[in-house]
Amino acid sequence: MSAPLLDARNLVVRYGTVTAVDHVSFSLAPGETLALNGPSGCGKSSTALTVLQLRRPDAGEVHFEGRELTTLSERELRPLRPRMQPVFQDPYGSLSPRHRIRDAVAEPLKVQGRWTATDGPARVAELLDRVGLDPSYGNRRPHELSGGECQRAGIARALASDPRLLVLDEPVSALDPSIRAGVLNLLADLQDELGLGYLFICHDRAVVRHFADRVVEMRDGRVSRP
Amino acid sequence: MRPRTRELPRARRLPTAAGVTRTLCLVSVLAAVGLLPWLSGKDPALTVLRARSAEQEPTREALDAIRRDLGLDAGPLSLLGSWADDLLHGDLGTSWVSGTDVLPSVVAGLQVSLALMGAAFGVAVLLACALVAPVLVRARASAGAWAAMLAAVPEFLLATVALLVCGVWLGWLPTSGWQGPEYLVLPALALGIPAGGLLGRLVADALPAVLDERWVELWRGAGVSRTRVSAAALRRVLPPLVPQFGMVAVGLTGGAVAVETVFAVPGIGRTALGAAKSQDLPLLQGAVLALLLLGLLTGAAAAFTRRRLLGPALRDASLNLPPARPVRTHPAIPLTLFTALAVAIGGGLLRDPYAVHTADRLAASSWSHPLGTDALGRDVLARLGHGAAPTVGTAAVVCLLSLLLALALGFLPGVAAGAADIANALPPVIVGILVAAAAGPGTGGAALAVALISWPPLAAHAAALVQEVRASAFLTAQRAIGASPLWILTRHVLPSVAAPVARHALLRLPGIALALASLGFLGLGAQPPAPEWGLLLDESRAYVERAPWAALAPAVALALLAGLAVSGAAYAQGRKAVKETPVEA
Repeated sequence: MSAPLLDARNLVVRYGTVTAVDHVSFSLAPGETLALNGPSGCGKSSTALTVLQLRRPDAGEVHFEGRELTTLSERELRPLRPRMQPVFQDPYGSLSPRHRIRDAVAEPLKVQGRWTATDGPARVAELLDRVGLDPSYGNRRPHELSGGECQRAGIARALASDPRLLVLDEPVSALDPSIRAGVLNLLADLQDELGLGYLFICHDRAVVRHFADRVVEMRDGRVSRP
Repeated sequence: MRPRTRELPRARRLPTAAGVTRTLCLVSVLAAVGLLPWLSGKDPALTVLRARSAEQEPTREALDAIRRDLGLDAGPLSLLGSWADDLLHGDLGTSWVSGTDVLPSVVAGLQVSLALMGAAFGVAVLLACALVAPVLVRARASAGAWAAMLAAVPEFLLATVALLVCGVWLGWLPTSGWQGPEYLVLPALALGIPAGGLLGRLVADALPAVLDERWVELWRGAGVSRTRVSAAALRRVLPPLVPQFGMVAVGLTGGAVAVETVFAVPGIGRTALGAAKSQDLPLLQGAVLALLLLGLLTGAAAAFTRRRLLGPALRDASLNLPPARPVRTHPAIPLTLFTALAVAIGGGLLRDPYAVHTADRLAASSWSHPLGTDALGRDVLARLGHGAAPTVGTAAVVCLLSLLLALALGFLPGVAAGAADIANALPPVIVGILVAAAAGPGTGGAALAVALISWPPLAAHAAALVQEVRASAFLTAQRAIGASPLWILTRHVLPSVAAPVARHALLRLPGIALALASLGFLGLGAQPPAPEWGLLLDESRAYVERAPWAALAPAVALALLAGLAVSGAAYAQGRKAVKETPVEA
């Protein structure tokens, strides 16, 4: 097996006196889909935030592409952040309601200094096309899109950062069952094409079985079946 | 689930920051009071000398002797120290003007004012009941519009109109002095009606939303009597509003200054104002201290009542009231008010406000003077038009400054909340008196006084919005793409906060203009011959029997401004709020 893309070791997250994540370890190879599965409140989402370093763990290490992230400062972390992108459960909440879809997708390019007046718009149109949205959707705002379209826009925005790892925090749970398959198929195609690693957080065992290469079961903050 | 747990440590840290700011604000207000003799730009020694003996020449030796006598040469810190020390021993000092002890004058004034405020509070409660009753009986339709109109009328305007109508024209009641219960009626009405309007409005606005809650339906379905449902709805509405009731009581102390001045009632407010004007600083310190104490005690009483009413349920966020529905007005109403004001101001701007026509003094309205003339024969319309700039223009500047300060400090929620608490306990008139005593009366001082207390509520609003935006998921997504804090602040947080806070500031503009006008009316703001609206009203009071139009013109202009404040409010709350409100025939 090649060097892991992501290696989480003994992660601990506490909220006050409650231990939400209790010594959780797992690793993920490039191009692999690892599912974190478990009932709500078992610490899946806290684990996801910790992997992304959007919440620092109270103990443990996160190795990403061979670098240990938990000891890095926010400033040192910033150039590495684009390599791992989140896709959140609420498709509307994860996009600013004030901005057009086009601006939301263009923002990572601008933040990361990769925007040029000539290539930028073309790249945005390409990304929207890649997730199955007509480029004319770029003019709309999140509330003018359906949940599934909005989630596709969120994926396009995540792809704009050229990531190696996507942390998918229940990406289809808030969607209508009839459009879940479309989004999941899109994610599978993107993985084949771009070689992305997926940390897939889910509480629906049927979806997990269909979608993931490996499953880590979580219960009460612990890994129950490695 | 996730955001709530993450907010816990922040919520625990907040009250201390607010507490520290609250204490700091209170201490600085007290220090400002104590340092008044030093802050005041004018030489207090001169005031004392003139008061003690008219003949004595203001020689250097005589002035130095007085300075030494008052301890003014020792510097600000020792002055503050000795003042605080005397204060702790119950010694408020001696009046510079009359040479008598300050404490008895303050106590006497306080007794009169407390009687007046008690009567006014009675009027306010009765009026509030009258306004709320129809909402409870019909279980729908808010009396909010009427109540809001009453609440927006400033006390000094109502006092002047009451004096004019009931006292002078109808001759029913005595209009000046303090000799018997009949002297209490007009001042108590003038002070109580705006307060009652505000109380009634708060309850009447909150009730319809509460009566729409599901438990009401359930109770009605179970055959619970209408009286019991009404009682329960009131019980549900009142606790969250109690702090606002405390603010109404604080507002009474500020309003008392104007009302006591108009009706020549020897209360604490008039004492403070007189002391400020005659530079009698020890008396002013004592009177302001008494007013502050009154405000803080009412605030504490309100907090205590709320705790008693809610008990252990205090921490349950679900006891917050559902959002009140904005007062519904036809769009034509604010438009009409605005047009009337704009036409009067435009017409006045074409005329000369300072031209004196000695032959036409106190003339009635005619073609050459559409609104008549004042005691010097100056055109009232012209003065009204030119007065718009110092009144509304200054208010706009104050508004803008408050907005900028609020946006800057909104990112420190603790500071904003603490400062807002203290600012709510200080009526603008009292701050105006303090500033005028320190810097002398003038437009700048009045603007400073109003600005000092108008920014904290805006800052508290901004702080609430900042917290809301910071908690939203899309900001987390911003960090994930590697955005710097500056990028997040300028591209996401600030744009979502600035617009609603700016609308809020705009909404407060007429109120700020009225506060400025009330300072002008009390002689603490713009000085003659400036045509400021409050000042116009004050100047015309002396001739009100011969030339009522000269008083009515600024009074109507101020009332239009108040009406604009209320009817425009629904639109300033944003398109969404209006759209969601079903239009009622």
